[in-house]
Amino acid sequence: MSNVLRPYLAAVRSTLTAALTLENFPSQVGGCSSSPSVNSIRVSIKIKQADEIERILCHKFTRFLMQRAESFIVLRRKPIKGYDISFLITNTHTESMLKHKIVDFIIQFMEDVDREISEMKLSLNARARTVAESYLTAVSLGIGYRVVTRLKCILWSYSAFAPA
Amino acid sequence: MILLEPHNYIIQTTLVDKFSKPTTLDVQFVDFDGVRFHLSTLDRKTVLLLSMHIRCWDELVRYGAQDVLRREYGSLVQSQPESDYNISLLIDLEKAPPEGEQRDAFIHSIALMKRNALAAPFELAFKKQKELENSSSGQGDIMAIHYRDEEAIYIQAAHDRVTVIFSTIFREETDRIFGKVFLQEFVDARRLPQIQNAPQVLFTNRDPPLEIRHVPGLRDSEDIGYVTFVLFPPHFSNPHVAAGTVSHIQLFRNYLHYHIKCSKAYMQSRMRHRVSEFQKVLNRAKTEVASTERKTVTGRTLQTR
Amino acid sequence: MSLLAPIICDNGTGYSKVGFAGNSDPSFVFPTAIATRGSAAQSSRSGPAVPAKPGHLASKRGVEDLDFFIGDEALANAKTPGYGVYYPIRHGQIDNWDYMERYWEQTIFKYLRAEPEDHYFLLTEPPLNPPENREQTAEIFFESFNIQGLYIAVQAVLALAASWSSNRVTDRTLTGTVIDSGDGVTHVIPCAEGYVIGSAIKHIPIAGRDLTQFVLNLMRERGEMAQVPPEDQLKVAGKVKENYTYVCQDIVKEFRKYDAEPYKYFERYDGEHSVTGRQYSLDVGYERFLAPEIFFNPEIYSSDFLTPLPEIVDSTIQASPIDVRRGLYKNIVLSGGSTMFQHFGQRLKRDLKLLVDRRLEASVISSGSALKSSGVEVDVISHKRQRYAVWFGGSLLASLPEFYSSCHTKAQYDEIGPSIGRRYKIFGSAT
Repeated sequence: MSNVLRPYLAAVRSTLTAALTLENFPSQVGGCSSSPSVNSIRVSIKIKQADEIERILCHKFTRFLMQRAESFIVLRRKPIKGYDISFLITNTHTESMLKHKIVDFIIQFMEDVDREISEMKLSLNARARTVAESYLTAVSLGIGYRVVTRLKCILWSYSAFAPA
Repeated sequence: MILLEPHNYIIQTTLVDKFSKPTTLDVQFVDFDGVRFHLSTLDRKTVLLLSMHIRCWDELVRYGAQDVLRREYGSLVQSQPESDYNISLLIDLEKAPPEGEQRDAFIHSIALMKRNALAAPFELAFKKQKELENSSSGQGDIMAIHYRDEEAIYIQAAHDRVTVIFSTIFREETDRIFGKVFLQEFVDARRLPQIQNAPQVLFTNRDPPLEIRHVPGLRDSEDIGYVTFVLFPPHFSNPHVAAGTVSHIQLFRNYLHYHIKCSKAYMQSRMRHRVSEFQKVLNRAKTEVASTERKTVTGRTLQTR
Repeated sequence: MSLLAPIICDNGTGYSKVGFAGNSDPSFVFPTAIATRGSAAQSSRSGPAVPAKPGHLASKRGVEDLDFFIGDEALANAKTPGYGVYYPIRHGQIDNWDYMERYWEQTIFKYLRAEPEDHYFLLTEPPLNPPENREQTAEIFFESFNIQGLYIAVQAVLALAASWSSNRVTDRTLTGTVIDSGDGVTHVIPCAEGYVIGSAIKHIPIAGRDLTQFVLNLMRERGEMAQVPPEDQLKVAGKVKENYTYVCQDIVKEFRKYDAEPYKYFERYDGEHSVTGRQYSLDVGYERFLAPEIFFNPEIYSSDFLTPLPEIVDSTIQASPIDVRRGLYKNIVLSGGSTMFQHFGQRLKRDLKLLVDRRLEASVISSGSALKSSGVEVDVISHKRQRYAVWFGGSLLASLPEFYSSCHTKAQYDEIGPSIGRRYKIFGSAT
């Protein structure tokens, strides 16, 4: 976790913990908003997207996650407008699950999503470089297809295939 | 697999098969860029007819495809192609070269049929460049090959170079953005010392490059990209190198789109992994050791991913 | 370019059959196996390497995931240092999506040489495949490969469609009982109007590999295998099974026939020692009819599974809704390599008919009624495309004009999302 992010996530953690314990305590933190009502709390996250690549990766990733919302219990299928992903923690959740562990999950999620997207981007760039280099290396040397030039002579040596 | 092969796998394996055990046959299959093949036996099991349909055949013929194919396949080429196809080769298994290296080479050459047809405009451009070389100026006509419904290859010879321009369409936003990342690397790759001799690559999104800006009917939308390869004489003056250059360059569009798709598949793998990691963290929050197993009617377990 | 033939992929536990609609055979039949480079610690289920710490890239070059082989090449590379072979399908269902996705990737680009954007795809699934699997499949094919359209068909239903090619079939129905026997397991699957009656499906733990083993046992007991090097024995038994066996109609009579005129019925198998090159010649005798007999009299081979195939078929149909039973008896369709034995269908039909008639008689007697049942028609359909029946059924259906309108298209997927994979439409039958 970067040092810049640490105090922010710490603040999110305490807010979430407070919201989950006290209930009915509205709060607003930077890119992450949580709005509790009497028996549920909604956490919506806006993920950092510096450029077009991060935007599409973020879109793909959140879509992939939300597609599997059913197995995530607290994840919503659609985010709240203006955010990329939303969680809804209801009283049934807090009764059947450990509150501080739910907070752990949300914090870990916020940490990992950022990291995963930047790693995906890095790996895309690395891949693109290898793909481009492999291709251009092959073209600059004309490797691989030695056999092509040899074929004609072989064909000619068989009268059946000599040109009409 | 990083590079795509120039030959057709089905032609290759089927011929190998039929050489060892001739049987009646009637199959249709494809190759990249909408090419259709029909391979069938005629009256005898040992006589095969291989026919190819290629979208841009008329253009290719204009640029000498008939000559190239005759040069490569000699009298195998039928004067009258099978109906619904552009060109047919008659392969008599009993008259083919004997088993061993020569037969392998023979089979391989047949499997390169599409490659050879598409090679014609490239070879013509290389020849044209030679002619123009002494004049030290001037350029040949632009040859347009509409190899796919909405995508084309433009080839033009000049006194010192041959320019090849691909137009390609990205079917979706992800492809367009990934495609841009890839193409930028093609442009930048020449900084590496070991590939400084590679053709120069230029890339534009939406705006066609100068050379073809006057060509009518170009699409004007965000999802189109233009890639320009500038080939210099070292890439094609030696016939051996030229053959390799043609094989690679004509597959460029397929290579690019293949890798865009592979990266999407890789991203899916990463995301699947992330999801299962997140799942583990969330499971720690569950108080009771809730059974995460779900079963189908037959008692098979559904996996939680 | 929408005129290009749809691609048919029938990925089974052991083998994958892939090719183009309209053909009578798949273009490729190879193992559903993938050989990848992966650290030993990384089990088949843990997915791709994902870095533990930021800044630690999954791979330096970014293309390690392209370093793999599929099919026969995967098995050929099984011993290459660093590679491990995995089977992404287990018991008919996709077990590892990462491997499966890459398996498809190479099938399409290397072997079929198709641009998936230009094609419709027909994929197959086992009966009772969870809808989540259909969603994931749709997600892969539409998102990674941008295909034009997708249809996922149940294998048994395709096997029914394949039987339309038989000249004995006059009405194109999707009601019938499918007996699908491959290498590992045999399924008996009842279908009504294109839908599998899941609750009535039965599995039999006897299939191709057991027949081969049985041939091997018999030939070993007679001492034939003494000339064959141990590593070749299973292969020889497999060849004998494929080339010399048939189903007899009466096992006792068959034994007598062989004993009376051994020269007429015994065959010779000629082989060559794989190392020394020495020629050998083996007698092929009773195993010719005893091998497939284990379907009808399993006790001669197995001690824990004893129910004959005709009885299983009968109880499968009896477990199905009463109003479809006639249709299920009337159209019993064979599918898969292990149903290809000569006279297999005939014997099954005869034995099953006996069971059915006996029950009818018994019910007449017990009811004391003077009314006689008109009888139940029993028919078993064998046809030329039996070996790859599922694939062929797909090829057939995807050649029908209704195929395109029954597919989910890319545009529909983009609008609705992966859940579109849950829905499907039965088409093609004339009834």
